[in-house]
Amino acid sequence: MIRIRPALPILVLLPSLAVIPVLFEIGSSLHNGGIKILIKFFSAAFQPSLDSVVIQSSLRGLQITIATALISWAISILLGVSLGIVSSRIVWETFKSPNWISTLIRRFLAIPRSIHELVWGLLLLQVFGLSPWIAIVAISIPHSAMLARVLSDQLDALDQRALIAFKHGGVNPFSALITALLPQIIPILASCCGYRLECALRSATLLGVFGMGGIGVELQLTLQSLEFNEMWTALWMLGIVMIAIERAISFWRIRLLSSIQAQKQILIFLGAMFFVVVIGLIWLQQLDLDLLAVIQFHSIKFPSFIAIKDSILMLPLIELISKTLLITLLASGIAIGLPPLGMLFWQTRNSIELQSYIWSILRLIPPPLTALLLLLCTNPSVSVAALALGIHNIGVMGRFLKEGISNQDNNLFDAMIASGSSQQLAWLYGNLSVQSKSYLAYAAYRTDVLLRETAVVGVVGGVGLGWQLQESLSSFDWGQVTTITIVYSTLTLIGESFSDKLSEYLQRSKPNRLLRVVA
Amino acid sequence: MMAKRKKGLLLLVLSVFTLSFPNKEALAQPTLKIGAIPDQNPEHLNRLYKLLSNELSKELKVPVRYIPVISYPAAVSAFRTGSLDLVWFGGLTGVQARAQKPNAKVIAQRDVDARFHSVFIANKSSGIPVLRNKHGLTTLKGKRFTFGSASSTSGRLMPQHFLQQAGIETTDFKGGQAGFSGSHYATIALVSSGSYDAGALNAIVWAENLKSKRLNLSNVKVIWKTPAYVDYHWLAQPNLDKTFGQGFTNKIRDTLLGFSNKSKSQAKILELFGAKNFIPAKASQYNDIERIGRQLGKVR
Repeated sequence: MIRIRPALPILVLLPSLAVIPVLFEIGSSLHNGGIKILIKFFSAAFQPSLDSVVIQSSLRGLQITIATALISWAISILLGVSLGIVSSRIVWETFKSPNWISTLIRRFLAIPRSIHELVWGLLLLQVFGLSPWIAIVAISIPHSAMLARVLSDQLDALDQRALIAFKHGGVNPFSALITALLPQIIPILASCCGYRLECALRSATLLGVFGMGGIGVELQLTLQSLEFNEMWTALWMLGIVMIAIERAISFWRIRLLSSIQAQKQILIFLGAMFFVVVIGLIWLQQLDLDLLAVIQFHSIKFPSFIAIKDSILMLPLIELISKTLLITLLASGIAIGLPPLGMLFWQTRNSIELQSYIWSILRLIPPPLTALLLLLCTNPSVSVAALALGIHNIGVMGRFLKEGISNQDNNLFDAMIASGSSQQLAWLYGNLSVQSKSYLAYAAYRTDVLLRETAVVGVVGGVGLGWQLQESLSSFDWGQVTTITIVYSTLTLIGESFSDKLSEYLQRSKPNRLLRVVA
Repeated sequence: MMAKRKKGLLLLVLSVFTLSFPNKEALAQPTLKIGAIPDQNPEHLNRLYKLLSNELSKELKVPVRYIPVISYPAAVSAFRTGSLDLVWFGGLTGVQARAQKPNAKVIAQRDVDARFHSVFIANKSSGIPVLRNKHGLTTLKGKRFTFGSASSTSGRLMPQHFLQQAGIETTDFKGGQAGFSGSHYATIALVSSGSYDAGALNAIVWAENLKSKRLNLSNVKVIWKTPAYVDYHWLAQPNLDKTFGQGFTNKIRDTLLGFSNKSKSQAKILELFGAKNFIPAKASQYNDIERIGRQLGKVR
């Protein structure tokens, strides 16, 4: 008897089913009441404000944001790579150390990761007062933990046959790891680190509101007063920088991968990170940000046990959690399933390139703006929140998938084309199935990013934990803040142990076995 | 060769690094750190902040630094830690800041802030009639309703207070909760589109839109204007006299109250704040806001 298991590439495509209920709910209340404002928004893209005051302010803001992003990026790479290695299962196994150490470190790292950088910023502000360092540290903490998670997931998802062979051959564990895993992990690492720069840029944009200024302040204020032409000045600038970063990184990546001395280059790269920090700091100081101001420690009152107990009783936790999970599930379904679906069915010559530009735009537009735009033509619902977050993250997942596929060799794909398979089937089983494990591992991590991002879509109605967290923060109700943070960390931990189980399952299944489902 | 070049680069970087930091003397004089998020077109002030800091610096004879703290919870926290000396707060956020920093001094408000209003607006096709008094707000039960930003006095706190007086909780709206559009302008846009049946916002922003016609208002009508309450004000740290010299707090007050349209730069600043002039204000004026804030759980 043939036991039918879901095929890996099918597992990748399946989440896109989330789009059906979402579009159904949104479509059922579609209206054209906001069409004029929507048209205004999109036509403003072609008429960004060229007022010299706006341009000067945006340019200065852009520099602050880039410098902040560079510093926090470099710090989080240095920390994240180290933490990623020590939280990888394979590394500990190779050194014949107990498995639970890596699990313990991973679980511990889930806590800094489960707290949004805006919340980190506000917490650090309570303790240290205003300082440019607040933004830098607030970005670096969750970003290091995220990179550590992605890296350790990817390390554990690598093909381990070579490593096992080396170990059985009695090679010392350190050399075995370097020889067996480093060449495999370099392209993934390069891709992740490159992408982290873009993430750092986005976070630095958000955190400008804590007194540093930056392009995010322009964006937020023009969004508040719906000054679309001025908003587009900032959006275009940010977009150009994002695309430039993407190009530069992929140029470096291709050069790195074609070079025989990739291992040396990676070391140089890590060394260069120290330089980046220094240069970023000089840049900020030149922009008149007071980096040297004395940082004072301010005492904070920790919420009492009673305050926490009260808030547990006061908050409708079950409703908050279930709505948050629903939004997360729908949004991640959209974000995970649609990019491979798009690449599968839209395979003309330049379409992949075009899709990658569309993804860049989707990543560029902040979710609160997307939610507002969607809400101009449909009624508020959980689906609007899910779609707004999903749309933004399609850009992220699409980029990861495209880079993953361009990193792998095309042998299987070519072989299938040569044996007469259609372009689509060859892509599905030749390209996507090979990439599936890594993509799904990344998707699992992205899902817990989405869990935190529910914070930014209050416009559809105060739904979910993220919104409640903002409301509690703006009421300075530290009992509630503590409770919600604990809930967030718990959800992240549960999600993580679930995704660990999933990746163990994926590790056991071999891509070729899955052909049976269609056979 | 390679190594030498690298060392040279390092030296260059280090020297720029040391040069780029200000020397001790410049740091010796205390700087007045200010923050402000106005209710109308806040991006304008954020771009032209030098007008304000230069003017204050000229009048007060101390260096003034504007710090763009754009999020209200962050501004309140920065005030608590003493990172900001003088802040333009909303009614609610000012009260929150004083709750965390007792003895902070209410300095001044705008002419319009002593008698501030919110307006409730509705989409014309929602079937919501113009209301005679606050009890009419019960017609909003079961409708889709949006506030502005969570910390806003005119876009959230006072509207929620009047709703509560009429016997409506936020759970009575369609969907079991109210929306938070994020800003007064977004509230107008969303109610005008019909996605929300009704919403509440700052009456001045509404009036400005009526005049400028920047957003299309043909689908929207005002259904009720709230009674007057107090809103925005300048709030100063309690210890400024100790840092900047005897009488400094009063000097700030006099300077702000003295702003007039006769001076070109002052006229521009007043315009950025949407004020004709600044007038004296007392902490006791905000007692009602504080009581309501506590009632709605926004002040602790």
